[in-house]
Parts: sequence; C-alpha cells; structure tokens
Amino acid sequence: MATDMRPPLIDYHALVSGGRVHGSLYRDPQVYQRELDQVWHKVWVYLCHESELPLPGDFLRRQIGTQPVLVVRGEDNAIRVFFNRCRHRGNLLCNREHGNADSFRCPYHAWTYAKDGALLEPTFEEGYDNNLSRADFSLTPVPRQDAYRGLIFASVSPAGPSLREHLGQVTEFIDLFMDVSPSGEIDLNSGVQKLRYHGNWKLLPENSLEGDYHGPFIHRFAFEMHSRRTGLNLSSLYENQVPDVIRSLPGGHMVEDYRGASMTPPQRALTPARQAYLAALEARCGKEKARQLTSTTPPLVFVFPNLIYIMTHIRRFQPISVNETYVYYHPMLFKGAPAEINEARLREHEFGFGPAGFISPDDIEIMERNQIGVQARGNDWQHIARGLHRVREMPGGGTAGYTMDENHLRGMWQHYARLMSGQSDGDVQ
Amino acid sequence: MSSDAPAAPSVDAVAAFLYREARLIDEHRYQEWLALWESSDTLYWVPCNEDDIDPRRHVSIIYDDHDRLEQRVERLMSGSVLAQQPLPKMRRIVSNIEPEQVAPDLISVRSNFILATARAGRQELWAGQAVHRLRLRDGSHRIVAKKVLLNNSDQEIPLLQFLI
Repeated sequence: MATDMRPPLIDYHALVSGGRVHGSLYRDPQVYQRELDQVWHKVWVYLCHESELPLPGDFLRRQIGTQPVLVVRGEDNAIRVFFNRCRHRGNLLCNREHGNADSFRCPYHAWTYAKDGALLEPTFEEGYDNNLSRADFSLTPVPRQDAYRGLIFASVSPAGPSLREHLGQVTEFIDLFMDVSPSGEIDLNSGVQKLRYHGNWKLLPENSLEGDYHGPFIHRFAFEMHSRRTGLNLSSLYENQVPDVIRSLPGGHMVEDYRGASMTPPQRALTPARQAYLAALEARCGKEKARQLTSTTPPLVFVFPNLIYIMTHIRRFQPISVNETYVYYHPMLFKGAPAEINEARLREHEFGFGPAGFISPDDIEIMERNQIGVQARGNDWQHIARGLHRVREMPGGGTAGYTMDENHLRGMWQHYARLMSGQSDGDVQ
Repeated sequence: MSSDAPAAPSVDAVAAFLYREARLIDEHRYQEWLALWESSDTLYWVPCNEDDIDPRRHVSIIYDDHDRLEQRVERLMSGSVLAQQPLPKMRRIVSNIEPEQVAPDLISVRSNFILATARAGRQELWAGQAVHRLRLRDGSHRIVAKKVLLNNSDQEIPLLQFLI
C-alpha cells in the first residue's frame, strides 16, 4: 500500500472526531494543497457517463484535481482517458470542451495523435534522426480507469483499490436510481448547467445529502410549490423518526435511502407515454420490481469524492481553490423512454436546479455564507453530532441513522481524515 | 411588395417598450413585469450551452411556460429567495435594437444588453442578446416570447436568481 510515511503536520482525525469538524478544513490553503495530493490525485474521481460520448471520435475534457484530462471514444468503441498534454512540449492538446474529432493535432508544432492516443505525425520528423520512436510518444493514459454502469472513473495514482472496491456498497444505490430507466440505462447527453460558487468543495456533498434537515427551512417555498404542482407527498421531510434513511457507507459515500420512508413519488397521469414507459419497465424487470421502483423515491447518493445523484440529475463538481468550486448539473434522462417522458424530466430538472432553479440556488447561497461564517475562529467547530446517540452500525460496515441525522457526514469526514493522514490510499475500511 | 405587407415597425416605440421592461425588472417590480406578457402560450427561455438547442432534448437555464413564469415571479416575491437577501442592485443598458415584422400583429426584436448586478460585496456583469416576440394588441405591446442568449451560457456562472 503506497502511503505517505511523513508524519502529517496536522492531526486530521482530531479535527473531525467527536461529532464535530474544524473550521480550518474549509478555509486553510495548506489543507487544500494536501487535499489535491491525498484525495484528488489519489482516489477514483468521477469523470463522465459513456452516453456523453456516443460515437467514435467523440471527446470531452475533464479535470482530475489540477490535471486536465481528455476522454475519447476510439474507432474500436473503447473509451480512453489521457492526460490532455502534448508529449512534445507539454501544450494543452485539446482546447475544445467537447466535440468529435478524427485525430488530435497540437496547435503548437502540429504533432498529431490518433483517437487511441498513438502518435501519428511528429512534424519534421527527419530532424530527430533516430532519437524519436513514435511508439514511445503516444498520449499518456491516466494510470487507472474503470467504469460502473457507464459511469467512468479515473485515478491519476497507479496504486490503490479497484473501482469496485472503492464503490463497495454504493453500487446497490446506483443500481436503484438507474433501474428506474425502462432500459436500465441512463442518458446524460442532454447538456449541462454550469455554476460556480465561492466556497469550499466539501460544503457541496455535505449540503447536497442533508436536505432532510435543512429542506424545511431553506426550501420550504419551493417544496410546497413542487408539491402543489405534482402531488408529491413531502411529509416525511418534516418527520425525523424514520430509521435507516441516512446511510454512511465505507469509502466515504453517503446515501439518503427513502425505501423505508413514507415519501412516495409524484402520482403521474397515465398518459400513453407513461403507459409505454411502465410497460417497458415491467418487461425488463418484472411487475413486482417495477412496482417497487415506481412506488418509492430513489435514493440520494454521494460517491466520494465528486459524484452526486439527486432526483433529476447527476451532479459533479470540481474544486478550483480552497474557496471556489465549479458545479455541473447533468440532467439524467432514460435511454429508450418515450421522448415525452424525457422532455418532462428536463422541465422538472429546470424547476429545481441550475443557476436559475427554485431549489439548489438557495443551497449555493447558503454555502457561500457558510464559507464566510467559518472565517470566524471563535469556537472554531461545526457540530455534526445529530443522532450520535442512536447510530446503528451496519453489518457490512458503515452506519445508519434516522432522517435528519448526521451519521453520513461523520462517515465522510472519517474517510477524509484517513486519506489526509496518509493512512489510506483510498481503501474502504 | 404586396398591398397587405406589414408596415415596418417603429424602432422608437419598440425601444420605449424594452426600456420600460428593463426598468421594471431592474427595480424588482415583478407583477408589473408579468403584466407585460400575454396571459398564456408564452415562453421565457434562457438556453444553456448553445443558443440554438432543441429544448425538448437539451437542458436550458430557464425554460418557463406561463405557469412556470408565474411560479418564478411568485417565488421572487415570496421573500424566501436567499440570493435576493438583500435585493441585488441592478441596472442594464439595452441597445442595438433591431425590430422585424414577422406577422401583421407580431414583431421580433433583437437587442443587446449589459447588466450589472451588485450584491453581497460583489458586482457581476452579464451580457448577451435578447430576442423578444411582441404582439401589438389594443395599441400596446405584449410579450409572447423572450429568449435570452447569454454570452456565458456555456461557462460556470454565478447564481441567476433575478429576471434577465
């Protein structure tokens, strides 16, 4: 196991134990620098879904920590992740955010690479005499890449647990939200809302997965409006006695599992499109499973460190500095569903999310104020001890708590502390 | 030109309408702004990523039919929008107004805007082009559709918790 043998200057466990988190973890630039090395440049980072690259030659840019990468679908249909850097002089190879290309030509000296990363044409090759072997100058693949149900992850560290080990139990919950698609496959290729906020990246998963507690306060108006419009019963959001809703999973993942809650999905009119959708779902997974899937609200899921699923979309995020973060909202459509169903999903997404939505902007504003609040250093701790007295240790690892409990936040921070202390290279103890 | 060809719209009249609309939204006079619209079959649209997307297959930043538009206004007036506490100070410049008659009672107007919003210690600049479809009814214009093409609709933008 590759670990950092130097003693850490900061005792990270002390900063996240006893149901509290120290304010420095949100504001200290040195902590942020260490996060890049110990978290972002080490663990599996979510990049994209394969549906965003449907055709050979489709490509998109992403970033892992500070490092630009290029995701490309090759002629052989394989999706590869390369460092987005020309092997010649280190220029950014691909400048476009996304598109389709036959090959990738560096604008600086026109070295050109194939979709599989092979160097096709180093210009004025004769000048290199025999000191240049094309085969030695292919694009550099990121050390590790893997996928789960089309979700593509990569790690810039050569060592560490496999993706399956990293995901562990969270795959059960990824399955739950994807299985609602009649084909079992999702489509993330309908554009992306992009947003920036002045706040630390860790505020986003914390806020995104504890909406049961803050929802009645900052989202009351939007929830009631949504309820009025769709008939969605949100009463369980105002209850806090439903057990096993809040889940912390090994690996720092967090889940709000609503299967035991009274909150049911909105009653939707049985239009021909809805009937076709339900028929396809039943044909794929059987009547009973289809009934279960459509009568419970899918979970909210956070896959450490940067993938969130909420209601209508996959959300990913990118830290820019200790106090700035980019957020990307990718609406999740159902592959193979009637167009009308997916169109309605887009409109439902726009209701809540993105820069002009009615729900998540209130979270973003709260996070910006949170970042200002933690600059005050008197009593420099955040309190995340809700449910500490009644937390349930789960047989397979992780914990379960009641609606509004904060055991999942504590779990994420424990995992974070292990990574930051150099005690873990991402394994899921 | 046939005899029933519509007369060229008056830039002055259209400009006066756009200036008034800009003043109402900059001053957070939401109900008066809503009253500028036709009461049904309207579209308030801010595309995302690109200007010419198919909204049935591609997400927008805003895609409001009249019901959703009313909800947007209701929410802005509710006092619950945290990014409106305190209210942003806003002023926009509207320029480059180019009206075009598209039907006897309908004009399409392109205009450019620069909007400065100031709130919570920061001033932010927004720029782009608006395309209004206006119907002339009872001697005044009503908004049928407004499409706002943000220059930065494909960039990581701050919250857009006001009318654009």
